[in-house]
Amino acid sequence: MYLDLNWVIVIMSTSLAFSALSPIISARRLNFFASSLPHAALLSIALGYMMSIFLAGDPTLWAVIVSIPLSYLQMYLVHRGVDENTATSVFVAFTTSASVAALYYILTMFPAKVSLWSYILGDPLLASWEDTVNAAVTSIALILLTLAFYEKEVLIGVDRDYAILNGINAKLHDYFVITLLTVASVGLLRVVGFVIEHVVMLLPAAIAATSARNSREVLLISMLSSAFSGFMGLLLAIYLNIAPSAAFGLILFTLYLIFLVIKGEK
Amino acid sequence: MHETLSLEIRDLTFSYNSEQILENENIRLEGFGLFTVLGPNGAGKTTFFKVILGLLKPLSGRVLVNGEEITGNPSKAGRYMAYVPQLSNIDYNYPMTGREFIEAGLRARGTCKKRDCKMIVDDYLALVGAQEFADKRMSSLSGGQVQRILVARALSMETPILLLDEPFSGIDPRGKDDILSFIRKVKQNKMILLTTHDPVLTVNLSEKIIVFNRGVKAAGPPAEIFRLDLLRKAYGENVLFIEKCLHIIH
Repeated sequence: MYLDLNWVIVIMSTSLAFSALSPIISARRLNFFASSLPHAALLSIALGYMMSIFLAGDPTLWAVIVSIPLSYLQMYLVHRGVDENTATSVFVAFTTSASVAALYYILTMFPAKVSLWSYILGDPLLASWEDTVNAAVTSIALILLTLAFYEKEVLIGVDRDYAILNGINAKLHDYFVITLLTVASVGLLRVVGFVIEHVVMLLPAAIAATSARNSREVLLISMLSSAFSGFMGLLLAIYLNIAPSAAFGLILFTLYLIFLVIKGEK
Repeated sequence: MHETLSLEIRDLTFSYNSEQILENENIRLEGFGLFTVLGPNGAGKTTFFKVILGLLKPLSGRVLVNGEEITGNPSKAGRYMAYVPQLSNIDYNYPMTGREFIEAGLRARGTCKKRDCKMIVDDYLALVGAQEFADKRMSSLSGGQVQRILVARALSMETPILLLDEPFSGIDPRGKDDILSFIRKVKQNKMILLTTHDPVLTVNLSEKIIVFNRGVKAAGPPAEIFRLDLLRKAYGENVLFIEKCLHIIH
C-alpha cells in the first residue's frame, strides 16, 4: 500500500485545524453557523475561480477574500436580532442559489480549466506539494490562534455577560471566531469537501463532550480523535479505494458512538 | 476607600421591543449592606440589573458609582460591580469545572498569572465552601453548588458592589440558608443588591427594599415598605397579610 507524505500532511493538518476549532463552535453555540459555512465556502470557491480567470491571482486567496464578508453578513443578521435558525435558512438559501449559478457558469464557460469535484467531495489524494504547504501553513496558523484564544472564547460562550464585565470585547471576538471558521472552511475545503466539512467541524467536540471533565480535555480529546480519524480514514480509503473524506467522517461517527456507549456504561 | 460607596441612578429610562421597563427612575444607595429589589416574576428586575451593569444601554439617564459615570460601559462597571446571574442564564453544559470557570475570568481580567490564579481561586472556593466539588464538571453539580461557584467567582472580582439576581431560585432550603448566611457575612463590607420575588427571605437582612414592577414603585427601609398598599403596587391583589404574615398567591 503506497502512502504519500503529502496526503498524510494534508489530512493531519486539516483534521487538527478543524478539531481545534470544533470545541469553540460548541462552546459558542455556533453549530448553526458551522452547518451553513460549507455552502458559503462553495460559493466563495466558485467566485474565487471566476475572479482568478477574469482578474488573475490565486483562486483560493480570492475565495477567502470573498467569503469573509459573506460570513459577516450572516452574523450581522444574528446581531440585528434575527433568530439563528431564520438567519441560517436565509443565508443558506442565498449561498446555495448563488453557488449553483456560479458553478453552472464556470462549468459551461470554462469546463476544461477547472475541476470542481474535489471541492464537492474532497480529495486529499490530489494534493500537490503547493497544496500541502498551503494546507499546513493555514492549519498551523488556525491552531495557534485557536489555542491562544480558546479560554476566552469558552468564557464568552458559557457566560457572555461575565466575559463582557471582565473587559472582553465579545462582539469583536464574535467576528474573530467567524473569521477563523471562514478561513478554515474555505482554505481547507478541497481536503474534506463540501459534503463532509460540517461533519469534521462538529463531531470532534461532540465526541469530546461525552467524556471530558474540563475544557482542556475537550480540546485534547477533540484533536486526538480527529487526528486518529483522519489518519485511519486515509489508510482505509487507500486500502478499500473509497473517498478519504467519507472514511474520515464515518470513523468520526463511529468514534462518537463508541464514546457514547462507554459513557453509558459508567 | 469604600466608606463613601454610592450607587446612583438618575432619570434612567429603558424599553425593550417597545415595552417600557424603566421610566425616569431615580435611586441613590449608600454604604455597605443589603438592598433588595423586590418584585414578581417578569417585573423586569434582571433587565434593571443589566442596565445598571451597562450590559443593556439605557435610552436615557445615568448610572454613577461614587460619582463616576459608568452608564452603558460594562467593562467600567465591572471594576465596581460583580454579577451573579440566575442559574438558568448560564450554559454550564459545556464541559468545564468550577475552578476553570473562576480562573478564566481572573485571567481575562489580568488579575493573575497561572500559579497565582490557582491560589486566589482556592481562597475564594474555601470562603464559600466549594473546594470539594470545584474540580467536577459544572453540569454534574446541584443548583446550590453551582450557586456557590458563581458567588466565589463574583467575589474573586473583588468589587465593592455585588449584584445577585434571584439567588434563591431553584435552590433547596439548605442551600437558601447557606446563601443567607453568606449574605450576612459579606454585607458587612460590600453593597449587595439582590433581586427576589419572595420578600420573606431577605426582609430581616435588608437595609432598604426597592419594590419593583416595570419601574420602581416604592423604596425605603423594610418597616416602611412592608405595607399592603405599597406591595400591591408590584404584586397587585395577589399579596395578602394573614395573621401578620405576608403571603403571595402565585
